[in-house]
Amino acid sequence: MAEKQTEGAFVFEPADGTPEGSILYREHLKLTEKSHFAEFAGYLMPLWYSSIAAEHAAVRERAGIFDCTHMGVLEVMGGEAENFLNALTTNNVSALRKGAAQYSYILDAAGNVLDDIIVYRRAEDKSAGQMADKFMVVVNAANEPKVKAYLAAVQAGKAAIDLSRPERCLAKAGVRDMRGAVGGPDCRVDIALQGPASPDVLCKLGTDEVKKRVGTLKSFQFFEEKLAGIRCIISQTGYTGAKVGYELFVNPDSAADLWWRLLDAGKDTGVVPCGLGARDSLRIEAGLPLYGHELAGQHNISPFEAGYGWAVKLDKEFFIGKAAMGTASQSFTMKVARIEISGEKGVRPVRQKDAVISNGACIGWVLSCAKAGNRQIALVYVEKDKVAEGDSVGFYYLARSESHKSRGRKQTVERGEKVKPDVEGKTVGRFEKF
Amino acid sequence: MIVKGLLYTKDHEWAKVEGDIATVGITDHAQDQLGELTFVELPETGKEVRQKGELGVVESSKAASDVYAPVAGKITEVNKELENKPELINQDCYGAGWICKIQITDKASINNLMDAARYGEYLKGL
Repeated sequence: MAEKQTEGAFVFEPADGTPEGSILYREHLKLTEKSHFAEFAGYLMPLWYSSIAAEHAAVRERAGIFDCTHMGVLEVMGGEAENFLNALTTNNVSALRKGAAQYSYILDAAGNVLDDIIVYRRAEDKSAGQMADKFMVVVNAANEPKVKAYLAAVQAGKAAIDLSRPERCLAKAGVRDMRGAVGGPDCRVDIALQGPASPDVLCKLGTDEVKKRVGTLKSFQFFEEKLAGIRCIISQTGYTGAKVGYELFVNPDSAADLWWRLLDAGKDTGVVPCGLGARDSLRIEAGLPLYGHELAGQHNISPFEAGYGWAVKLDKEFFIGKAAMGTASQSFTMKVARIEISGEKGVRPVRQKDAVISNGACIGWVLSCAKAGNRQIALVYVEKDKVAEGDSVGFYYLARSESHKSRGRKQTVERGEKVKPDVEGKTVGRFEKF
Repeated sequence: MIVKGLLYTKDHEWAKVEGDIATVGITDHAQDQLGELTFVELPETGKEVRQKGELGVVESSKAASDVYAPVAGKITEVNKELENKPELINQDCYGAGWICKIQITDKASINNLMDAARYGEYLKGL
């Protein structure tokens, strides 16, 4: 979309705050040194416990456990919950049956992506009364304050909904922060268990019902059962590209207990705790977008450019931002692509903002890059028609140091600018499952 | 880990001074912060560097970090092994992971460096 759209845009100024530990902070301190922690979305979390490469490999070969308790978890309920979410999000909520989840977006009226989310339908009964329909909406930690402020503004009639019909307002639904300060037995936070050994871990801890359901559970399906006596929402979703992996939504009071029970049950099979570093390298290797990098961000990347046009249902009667998405679906000239580069030792790593080169000229830039085994995977933002799967592209390293600059290495490269590539890569499929 | 007998900078380089030659590397704290190194850009032999002048760049998958000269002088030798084995810095930053040797031209520049005890205090204060 290139330019950020302003008319109908939702403007949010985040508050500055001192980073705090996640609710598993004390458990992390028992597992790794404080120097391995970094701030992410206002939380102090481990970047790694042992090493990024070892944790990445563990998830591909065995399984890993991730603290995702910083992720925002909201509840939307009531007789109008489905209508409300259908207007608020881009995907078709009416197609969701109880026990199913879907990837979706929250946009503002200008079509700017405010967040990418997962909507879970926990109860479905539109006839039986007010509170019967129930959804869980998981939002990015970094966007949680903005999304909450946006929902409040939408509900109060203070946010633009439809630029062509200013009188339009949304159906009313109950919205509640499920991690929030309110507390209580219904609160939930996210712990992820990802990789081929994860079903074994769940079966070790689960009831007979868990053992029965885990084998047949499909991607984006979930059920509610007990693990080690702890009530959980067990969802086959994740952010690692693992064919088998779960997100476990648990009461915050039981999160530490579940964390250790999972580690303990996975000890024999080599299940390890994984930090933010491996979380990032795994999602990059799989081609999954990170808000602010492969979605929205500096280039204001749209869902269509990101490769997720299917999650924007333009045939729905209405959703906030629909008019802008109609245009975006027709006119985009850039796209996110996935490129494989040698990751052998001694090859300088490709970094964010490095230029992507085709036929001697810059066609775009690196959004994210990570090492995965012996290869690097870069997610790049490039001219849509210049790169197809199997094509070779080059990369130009931007200056990494003052002496690079003094020797004439560029600090930025514009599209169309002629530069000589430093390293070659090969375009691979947009996504990969492991 | 901090090794006695070495001299340290605030940017987490170390220097082992023997006569007028300083062997130089990055500290355990620095390699731990960077994580697994995948690339080391070495300085050129024969190059003159001032104190705190750029020696090279070390890169992990998470970050690229400049390495600065702890002392002023002329590069006499570089650890070529790091080109294919950058992990030597992670495994043995004060030994096999040394980066280069500098023939010290300005002996007084050593006086700016911290000894092991002071560097330890400095790390505690970070």
